[in-house]
Amino acid sequence: MTLKYCLAALFASCLSAQASTLEVHVSTPAGKSVEDAAVVLEPVAGIPPPREARASIAQQDRDFVPYVTIVRTGTAIDFPNRDPLKHHVYSFSSAKRFEIKLYAGKPAQPVIFDKPGEVALGCNIHDWMEAYVLVVNTPYFAKTSLQGRALLADVPPGRYRLRFWHPRQKAEPPAHEIEIGGRPAKLEQVMDVAARVFKPRQPTDAELY
Amino acid sequence: MIFRSLQYRIAIVFVGLLILVMALMLAMVTRSNERIVAAEMTREISAGALVFKRVIEQNRRQLETAATVLSADFAFRDAIATQDQPTIRSVLRNHGARIGAKVMMVINPAGELIADTQRGDAASSSYPVPDLLAVAETQGMSTDFKQMRDGQLYQMVLVPILAPRLIAWVAMGFPVDDRWAVDLSQMTGLTISVVRHDDKSTALLASSLDGARRLALPAELQTLAQDTPKLLSFGDEHFQTLLLPLGKSASVVLQRSLEQAEAPYRSMQNALYSIVMGAIAMFVLGSILFSRRIAGPVNQLAAVAKRIQEGDYAHPVPTLPPDEIGQLAVSLDRMRQGIAEREQKILKLAYEDTLTGLANRVRFLETFDRHPKGTPAAIAVLDLDRFAMINDALGHPIGDRLLGIVGERLANIVAPPGLVARLWGDEFAFLLMGADEAVATRFAELLHATLRAPFALDGQRLDVGGSLGIALCPQDGQDANTLLRRAELAMYLAKRKQIGFVLASGIGGDPPHEHLSLIGEMREALDRLEFVVHYQPKLDPSTGRIKTAEALLRWQHPAKGLLPPLSFIPFAEQTGFIREITPWLLGHVIAQTARWRAEGLIIVPSINISARDLLNPELVEQVRKLTAAHELPPDGICLEITESALMEDPALALEHLNQLAAYGTRISIDDYGSGQASLAYLKTLPVHELKIDQTFIRSVIDSPKDAAIVNSTILLGHALGLKVVAEGAETSADLEWLRNSGCDEVQGYGIARPMPAAELPGWIAAFAWKLHQ
Ligand SMILES: [Cu+2]
Repeated sequence: MTLKYCLAALFASCLSAQASTLEVHVSTPAGKSVEDAAVVLEPVAGIPPPREARASIAQQDRDFVPYVTIVRTGTAIDFPNRDPLKHHVYSFSSAKRFEIKLYAGKPAQPVIFDKPGEVALGCNIHDWMEAYVLVVNTPYFAKTSLQGRALLADVPPGRYRLRFWHPRQKAEPPAHEIEIGGRPAKLEQVMDVAARVFKPRQPTDAELY
Repeated sequence: MIFRSLQYRIAIVFVGLLILVMALMLAMVTRSNERIVAAEMTREISAGALVFKRVIEQNRRQLETAATVLSADFAFRDAIATQDQPTIRSVLRNHGARIGAKVMMVINPAGELIADTQRGDAASSSYPVPDLLAVAETQGMSTDFKQMRDGQLYQMVLVPILAPRLIAWVAMGFPVDDRWAVDLSQMTGLTISVVRHDDKSTALLASSLDGARRLALPAELQTLAQDTPKLLSFGDEHFQTLLLPLGKSASVVLQRSLEQAEAPYRSMQNALYSIVMGAIAMFVLGSILFSRRIAGPVNQLAAVAKRIQEGDYAHPVPTLPPDEIGQLAVSLDRMRQGIAEREQKILKLAYEDTLTGLANRVRFLETFDRHPKGTPAAIAVLDLDRFAMINDALGHPIGDRLLGIVGERLANIVAPPGLVARLWGDEFAFLLMGADEAVATRFAELLHATLRAPFALDGQRLDVGGSLGIALCPQDGQDANTLLRRAELAMYLAKRKQIGFVLASGIGGDPPHEHLSLIGEMREALDRLEFVVHYQPKLDPSTGRIKTAEALLRWQHPAKGLLPPLSFIPFAEQTGFIREITPWLLGHVIAQTARWRAEGLIIVPSINISARDLLNPELVEQVRKLTAAHELPPDGICLEITESALMEDPALALEHLNQLAAYGTRISIDDYGSGQASLAYLKTLPVHELKIDQTFIRSVIDSPKDAAIVNSTILLGHALGLKVVAEGAETSADLEWLRNSGCDEVQGYGIARPMPAAELPGWIAAFAWKLHQ
């Protein structure tokens, strides 16, 4: 757990005395921690009003950074290109079909992810580049760290539907409702996730010489 | 015929050898070609199989690459992602056509067919080749040969469509049809067929074959195992066939036509066959011509050889080309000439007298034998008178030359078919064909007239007479030997009677007693040991000792008793038979002398040597050999030679005397005083002894003249250092006179008569005793 996370959690608990935190650890059936798993809490009653939000998925060293991005519906995501070459980002996913044709630097317009669902991102120039965006209809979500931990802070007490998702999940675990009380809760979750297969990359020009 | 067969044998041997070699060569070439073809077939099939596998693998890679490229096409992916059936189908057709895929299908990740170019409503049906999908799910993509619903075999490639994660599979099918087979056939050089076979049946799916073979192929394949080449026959064509798996349910049949592989070798073999046939034909022709060229001249030579064999040396050998046979012909011709010359020579030797060139006795007898039996003929034998004397006086070379010119003159008076021959010595024989007594008589007169003219020899005129004996056939005999003998007897009679000629019929059957072939008798006498030697001792009057004796030849004739030398020696000298007697006498006397010496009695015998003996070049050697053989010293014998013997050929006589004297033999001059030899002449001779002729001795007592001659001879002889011997001392007065005159030795009846050898030692012993009394 990073210091930043700790501070954020501490800050949230300080901000609202009623709010609570949910810490989840995701592991494979073999007991291996799962990174990049999305932990989503959907309030059963009433969704908080949307807020304008922005996110960014960079293309750096001919790769998407980060690999998994979780955003609330309506979030505008920028695709800054930090490489000295052009990329062609696309998605054929039904939740968001788009295409940013060959560009350099930061595209003029961010892409608004206005429908919930999963979106697979690819680059038409670099087939190995892949990234995933999970668009959810709730502000309460988190992504597991390298150690498989995710911390959802400032979750108001109430009843929630707890959902898990991973881009390489073999099957999505069934969602179930939980009650978030005044005290922080801890949860263990098992997910069957395939190991990430890195597609072969083309060597860079520098590597060629 | 033999030569014809030689000619053909040469041709047959050469052609046979050629055919054998050619047949061996062809057999080897054929076998080697078969092996090469078999090896080539195997090599081609395996190379073709390798090429085929490579091409298939390459095809697969190309198809996979093409499919991968297609699946990565953005628009294609975009269209697939729409999930819109018409769109997907149209993009499938469009993009499929780009890479030549005939079948295109899209399958969702769940394995359900989303779109299919073969069928319009593919949705929700399952994917027809799930095994391909299973492989692709683990390996990313998969390729295999699949028979699709239309019965067509396809090479199917299944690739994922990633956006970037798997959104669908796209399957592309490339038809495996006849064109595919033909393409591969061109690349591999093999016939390519694709079959699908299960336990029951085999179906042909594609092939580069056509027509009947295409139809026949499936049935033939039933026996074929995978990966093992096998020779299959289709009618009269043969194929090396290899079955390789193609995908899981199909097989590819690779074939190489044996006839095609053999074709270049066949044409080579055919060319070779024509060359061989042409070569054999040319060789047959060539060897027949060649053998004819050899056999022809050989034939000619054989004919020549046959003529030579038959004794015909007249035909020269034909001139042939200067090769080996030509050289043989030249040699044969030389041989022919050589044989002809030698035969001539042999004939001459056999039938010709070398001295006169006349016919010899053999020729004479043969010629007579050839004359028709019963027809009259005369045989005349001529012996020259006084020839022995001429020979003795002038020497053999002159005598031989005289015989030659006499022969020439005789040959002129006999015309063929008559014949002149020299029988031996100075005896000639004449054959007068058809002659009766009158003719023979006229011939005798002609002959004498012919001989009457003197013969000229080295400017000397020589008168040569002859005695002739004539025998007539058939009156005097039928055969040549009888006639010759009778003619010879008649001739002896003529000679004795000095009457020119005698007819054999005139002397009757029995020849005269005295001349009864004295020569033959003497020869028999030698053989029968009828000759004996008596010894007459010689006394040394000063000492009264006997040291020498004269050896005297006697003939102990079975009918006539003991004959003295004078009764036969002159005849032996005249006929030359003395030459046979003298060696016998020398040997006999020397042997006897040696025996006496062994007994302790030393006697030096004197042996009489005739003129002929002295002129005989073998005499010296005979003396030398005999004395040496009996270990007698050279001066152990003395040879007595008459003055007249010395006069016949003084030079040759002196030469022989010198040789004898050099050897050491003692030499005595016999009958000294009866001839004309002077003491001055005798002085030049190597003589040791003078023997005064007995006619002087007999009258020394009565005739003072003779006594003076003897006295002076003794004195002169002593003065010349010669020993003087007197012979013919008959009385004791003679003996006494001779002793007083200083004569060294005395011989005569007054001392002893000649006595047999056996009596001599006893007589000497008695004489010595008498002397001592
Ligand atoms: Cu890119």
